[in-house]
Amino acid sequence: MPAHHGRRGPTAGTLTLILFVMPSVLLILLLNLYPVLYAGMQSLRDGSLIAAGDFVGLENYTDVLTSEAFWDSTGFTLVFTLVGVFGSWAVGLALALLLRTKIPAGGLFKVLLLLPWVVPVVVSATSWNWLVATPQSPFPIITEAIGLGRVLFLADPTLAQVTVCVFKVWISFPFMMMMMASALAAVDDNVYEAARVDGASRGQIFTHVTLPLISRSTYISWILMTIFCVNDFPTIFLLTGGGPVNATSSLVVLSYRKVFAEFQTGPGTAIAFVMTLTLVVVSVLLYRQLKKVNIE
Amino acid sequence: MSASLTPTPGLVVGDPQPQQQLRHREVEMAARGQWWRFLLILVVTTVVLVPILAVLWLSLQPGLGSPTTGLTLENFVIIFERTGVGTWLTNSLSTALVTVLISVLVAAPAGYVLSRGRSRLISSYSLLLFVIQSLPVVTAAIPLFILFAELQMVDTLTGITVIYVGSTMSVAIWMMTAYYDSIPIALEEAAWIDGASVFSGFLRIVLRNSLPGILSTAIFCFLLAWNDYLIALVFLRSEANFTLPVGVQSFFQQNATNWGLVMAVAVIMMLPPVIVFAALNRYFSVGGIGGSLAGR
Repeated sequence: MPAHHGRRGPTAGTLTLILFVMPSVLLILLLNLYPVLYAGMQSLRDGSLIAAGDFVGLENYTDVLTSEAFWDSTGFTLVFTLVGVFGSWAVGLALALLLRTKIPAGGLFKVLLLLPWVVPVVVSATSWNWLVATPQSPFPIITEAIGLGRVLFLADPTLAQVTVCVFKVWISFPFMMMMMASALAAVDDNVYEAARVDGASRGQIFTHVTLPLISRSTYISWILMTIFCVNDFPTIFLLTGGGPVNATSSLVVLSYRKVFAEFQTGPGTAIAFVMTLTLVVVSVLLYRQLKKVNIE
Repeated sequence: MSASLTPTPGLVVGDPQPQQQLRHREVEMAARGQWWRFLLILVVTTVVLVPILAVLWLSLQPGLGSPTTGLTLENFVIIFERTGVGTWLTNSLSTALVTVLISVLVAAPAGYVLSRGRSRLISSYSLLLFVIQSLPVVTAAIPLFILFAELQMVDTLTGITVIYVGSTMSVAIWMMTAYYDSIPIALEEAAWIDGASVFSGFLRIVLRNSLPGILSTAIFCFLLAWNDYLIALVFLRSEANFTLPVGVQSFFQQNATNWGLVMAVAVIMMLPPVIVFAALNRYFSVGGIGGSLAGR
């Protein structure tokens, strides 16, 4: 502790540090920890947004875990997350590799390609709605012109799922591009040169040299994007509202609708709390793993 | 990806005579490859930016029955005259700026303790912050709604600002911690030996050298508050209290056919983040905690 070095002695320094950290501790307790614990309690009651309700034990959980809607939403959340993480990673990595080479106006492209991440989701969702949702939209008109008829991307369950996933990749690839670009920038060019001199092909260099060297950043970016995708609300809700017929309802969207549209606070918080418990376990394990990687 | 492996002409090793010819050919090939890659990235960037360009283009189109032809700013005049967009803009700006101010004021000293302190309590706090940032917002939203209903804070800007401060806190502290880690402790130690207190060492030495870290944290907090949709959707009820995300969304639902006006509101919403990004590009960190994790 730096406090021990101070002339005023350890007590004064330690007190300063406690005062430094205290406001944040209070805010975290009140605004993050208390609500989560309260949600845990509420998930054991049959209350509403205005009444606490009676204790019903695990009834909300059995209701939720035996409902088809929960498992459908779990399925879609998994698909959405897998496509979101690996789709945006693949696109982001490819673009980061491309932009690493000498290209006229490369810097400008690098900045322009970050815009999907910078523009608010509300704005881009509105724009995507204009592009694909109605029969008069440009994309349905294009599909008609090439002989597929007016495809309504958000009206068909499967197509809506695909569209939402593509939308997520569009929003997220700049994040991956930035993470991968900074990882690639840290790699010494001589490593590639050495591999080339040793007769490695381009494919070999990519899989045996590039990928291992950026593995730590890749791993971290996957973890973060998984968290972003699982917890994502606006990307899905603003484009489809969870529909058609719940096809794009992720667990967060389902929980939101249970509580704030159907006023079933118990089941809604139970869903949120199942997610919370899962994420607590996963993130504690990941944190340990990250610390380990750090020490190595 | 293969493009990145194009050899740098200067690095080619071999006999001096053939190298001369080789160099000529390689320079030529590199130049040609450069233009192919330029074309590729140009096409990719254009496709990626279609939804954003569509927003701008539609916002500049004259409305039905308008005497003007060609591009016009009349949509912007109309929305400021006839809708609450001015109020929403003020609401969004004030909540986002107050969030930035409080979050940075609380996170800056807290991050210092996490960076310099070594104790079991501090590492548990760091783990707690990591877990909290991975939890879905909806879990906290439900109990906070119940709490705020009792405190008469539903449908107030104060209410959502408090929640924004809570949801930025964990990542903001992490970001500040990561920045302080890059400042050598020797600077403070010298000040302590000269009789400075922990507080003045932090203020005059550490904080003074942390402007980039503070700016990145501030940008992160600003964007989180500015882009939030879920909290605003749950907590804000009356139009006079709307922030831009819910304002844009409700305006879109009421005027779905009048795309010019809808997109003009959308432009107002995306302008501040784009300006912040353009001006402070250097300090723009990827997903907040992403940079801090990758750098540690």
